[in-house]
Amino acid sequence: MDERELIARVRAGDGAAERALYDAHVDRVYRLAYRLAGDDELARELTQDTFVRVFERLGSFRGEARLSTWLHAVATSVVLNGLRKAKRFRQRETDLDEANAISGGPPPAEPDLKRRLAQAIDRLPRGYRTVFVMHDVEGYTHEEIGAALGIETGTSKAQLSRARGKLREALADFAGEWVS
Amino acid sequence: MTGDRFERLLRDAAPDYHRPPETPREEMWRQIVEARARRRMLVQRRWPYWGLGIAAVLALGIGIGRWSARGQQRTETAAGRVANEPGTLAYRVAAAQYLSRTEALLTGFRTEARAGSPDAQVAAQARDLLTTTRLMLDSPAARDGRLKALLEDLELVLAQIAQLPADSDKEDVQLITRGLDERSVLLRLRTAIPAGPGPVRMQGAL
Repeated sequence: MDERELIARVRAGDGAAERALYDAHVDRVYRLAYRLAGDDELARELTQDTFVRVFERLGSFRGEARLSTWLHAVATSVVLNGLRKAKRFRQRETDLDEANAISGGPPPAEPDLKRRLAQAIDRLPRGYRTVFVMHDVEGYTHEEIGAALGIETGTSKAQLSRARGKLREALADFAGEWVS
Repeated sequence: MTGDRFERLLRDAAPDYHRPPETPREEMWRQIVEARARRRMLVQRRWPYWGLGIAAVLALGIGIGRWSARGQQRTETAAGRVANEPGTLAYRVAAAQYLSRTEALLTGFRTEARAGSPDAQVAAQARDLLTTTRLMLDSPAARDGRLKALLEDLELVLAQIAQLPADSDKEDVQLITRGLDERSVLLRLRTAIPAGPGPVRMQGAL
């Protein structure tokens, strides 16, 4: 079934076509949601929300772009908005946890390099982190990132370069271990 | 850290960043099906209450229009416009008011969309007007091909606005405004609204 036929059948309410569309795209949407959320439950919610919206709005898809481009634009919008809301919620929880924490315990052990890298990625500004995860972790092209985020390809490249620069700075204290 | 070594580190370590488990396809699909069913049920339950008042007024207007038009000699214009068909004040008042309200809503929506996210009140008004639009599609107005096409576009746009969640994002709103622009909905709507000062106008599509 080609893309145009699939869209027409989904618009006509064909359940099998809906499932085929879901099967074709769900992995990539879930993977991106999970990479950005770092939490299975939240990633599932965001993926589900994405497909509910996609089915609701397929009627407004005019076919100027590929379906996958449009679908990933919806997905990134849902994921980034969902993460903003989740962050606000978690920030309140963290504040409470910190207030309740017992101080004076032993300092945490030095995390290994991968863990430090993960923490450094988590601390990147939102735009840099999104582009870094999409490109360097999930393998999206700059063209795909540009289309999904509504930014120029050049902006995507610049943000990736700045993200890598910040990661390099954050991991500078590992330099001794790496420089031969 | 040298550039090469850093690049290697990223290449080796990045795939481990929040490594996803296998996609829970079936569980998520079940949730999606349930969520969509819940939304459909919610919309159906709300329908009878939305815009009941305006729908009743329009229905009355159309009814009076049809009744009073019975027996009246029809004068078909070249365009075969609906204007002369009902030939009644009540019908024209109701239809002109509907078109004017829809134009006001869509103009306001576009203005608010530029400034940010539209007010939740806009979605409520869109639901009211959606009821009326569907009534209009069943009325003699829909016999005019041009007006029917406009009403169908309005139905789609109003349905999209009516379904906008309270926390709608920029992309949601942009999709709707893009649809409005691409189909020249506002321009066609303004052309269809009768010209003139009074509530009942003698030009335009009606």
